[in-house]
Amino acid sequence: MGYDSAGGGLIDTRTGMIDRTIFSDQAIFDREMDLVFGKSWLFVGHESQIPNNGDYFLSQAGREPVVVTRDAGGDVSVLLNICTHRGMPVCRYDKGNAKRFTCPYHGWTFSNTGELSGVPLNSEGYGGKLDRSKWGMIKARVARYYGSIWATFDEAAPSFEDFLGDMAWWLREFMMGPDGEDDGLEVIDGILKNEIPSNWKFGAENAAGDLYHDVSHKSVQRVGLALTGLRTRHTWDADKAKFRMLNITFPAGGHAVRGNLYDVAGRDYQSQWGANPEVDAYFRDAHFARQKRIGERERLLNRGGVVFPNFIYNAANRTSVTSYVPRAPGRTEIWKWIFVPKNAPQVVKDVMRHYLLRYTGPAGMVEQDDFENWGSAQIGAESHLARRLPMNYQLRLGGHAQWAWPEPWIGAGALVDEGVSEHAQRIFYDRWTEMMTGQPQAFRREAAE
Amino acid sequence: MTAQGAPTVTTPTAIASTLKERVEDFLSYEAELLDERQFDRWLDLLDDDIHYWMPLVRNFEHSRPQDEYSRQDRDAAWFDEGKPTLTQRIKQIQGGDHWAEEPLSRTTHMTSNVRIVSATEDEIAVKCRFLLYVNRREDEVRLFIGKRADVLRVHGDGFLLRKRSIFLDQSKMLFKNLTTFF
Ligand code: FES
Ligand SMILES: [Fe+2]
Repeated sequence: MGYDSAGGGLIDTRTGMIDRTIFSDQAIFDREMDLVFGKSWLFVGHESQIPNNGDYFLSQAGREPVVVTRDAGGDVSVLLNICTHRGMPVCRYDKGNAKRFTCPYHGWTFSNTGELSGVPLNSEGYGGKLDRSKWGMIKARVARYYGSIWATFDEAAPSFEDFLGDMAWWLREFMMGPDGEDDGLEVIDGILKNEIPSNWKFGAENAAGDLYHDVSHKSVQRVGLALTGLRTRHTWDADKAKFRMLNITFPAGGHAVRGNLYDVAGRDYQSQWGANPEVDAYFRDAHFARQKRIGERERLLNRGGVVFPNFIYNAANRTSVTSYVPRAPGRTEIWKWIFVPKNAPQVVKDVMRHYLLRYTGPAGMVEQDDFENWGSAQIGAESHLARRLPMNYQLRLGGHAQWAWPEPWIGAGALVDEGVSEHAQRIFYDRWTEMMTGQPQAFRREAAE
Repeated sequence: MTAQGAPTVTTPTAIASTLKERVEDFLSYEAELLDERQFDRWLDLLDDDIHYWMPLVRNFEHSRPQDEYSRQDRDAAWFDEGKPTLTQRIKQIQGGDHWAEEPLSRTTHMTSNVRIVSATEDEIAVKCRFLLYVNRREDEVRLFIGKRADVLRVHGDGFLLRKRSIFLDQSKMLFKNLTTFF
């Protein structure tokens, strides 16, 4: 395939072929930072991390370090954690409570909304002429969405809701409690961070819709993890109602959802936490409460997905968010937030916390095998010999996907394929190409033809 | 073989006679079993009610040293395990299909600075420092260093591990996976 560091010619989703250099080339990586991460809304955290006025925590907006603060009025700011004088991170604590941050180098002081409030030697050294209003911390545009907090430093980016398009409902649904209550989650204290020797896109494309990689998780399926009483890792494995497995994509934004669409509306609850009757009873009640609250969309079990480019969520009782922090073409930091339903009894929170800690992260019995395999895929992306061959994304290639299908309520902007397919990954890379080159995606061209 | 029925004597009293020597011997034996991948025999050294816990480490201002490690029973942790889930983890490693440990890592566990903090007839609280070197496949190296607080339960002529708290000296996990036991 032709090499073009602008991103053109590297990806052909009509033939299902992708040049390996998108995972390994430094120039492509540098452009991604500007054109993909620099222009997207990025997840930075959750409101439950800053319950009180003055609370703050450190996070990452893509590769950029940020402080997320709640000010005296309760508003949330996302500030680039960089002193405007010489560039020191002004805050060095993972979290805390502060009205202002004083830079450790020369002592410039910034309020928790980013204004430069104090400068040593202001009158003697600067003659009182330093325009403090010009030297505040760089502030992001902030969106708060059902408990989640998002930021972009791009003034020209569309509004957060336009950026989401019809993905909005499914993100909102993810942020609900199991009973369908909006903004129903809280973060378990402690973000799991680790580093994998792989490009950030291997994880992102996997979350978009790799329903093909069961062999990766063979060992945990054999041993069992969910408290269903079965030897599998998902709670829904215990739900024997018939469903269609969907790869739902929202091509305009590049977002995707993996979902089980159950055949019958209002299906009965089937025990999914059988090993703990109290927890099972909570989820039984929640199952029916959710059906009542959210109506016809209850038929879809939202298993997880991606908000383009790097917000990865796992749903369906594995409530967690992964943010990929790209450090280099072959080096990615993983930040992981785990959530429990905020209104659930403590025993439910405890059981879910344990289940999640055994599922996710570098000690997770599921994700260990993902990290291992993505790290290995990077070897192939960096091999000069292997680069003669593109990577293959041809699984169920060729016009199977349909718009707003099989149910219109999935969203007018949804392009959906069924079963084990690489459809969602092709759409992910179509959107990536569009952002990298400014050229419209294949699906837009097709619509115009 | 259940833990409660397992023989846990490793060294004749004639050789290791003091409590400290016997505790050190137990810790070395346990490490040896892990390094030799005798995982089932390692499980036999764990009390049925073991709590095996490795908190996260966070960076806080100096006035909040108590918050450095994530809280037990509430917060996220790298490990928060009982015997059933440790057994599951061992079974996962033993199947030949757990890619993160296939082929198996080469490990060397070292413990030092062993100190008996308190001892009753039934329980002994021990602190130590550990160094765990992991090497796998061609060139993967992981080095874990930290502190451990163990509680041993006296069992027959030997001990069973009742509680293990592992305090790692790294905040962000500097490696992709945590597939080894401490
Ligand atoms: S670098 Fe921050 S005050 Fe100088
Ligand atoms: Fe996976």
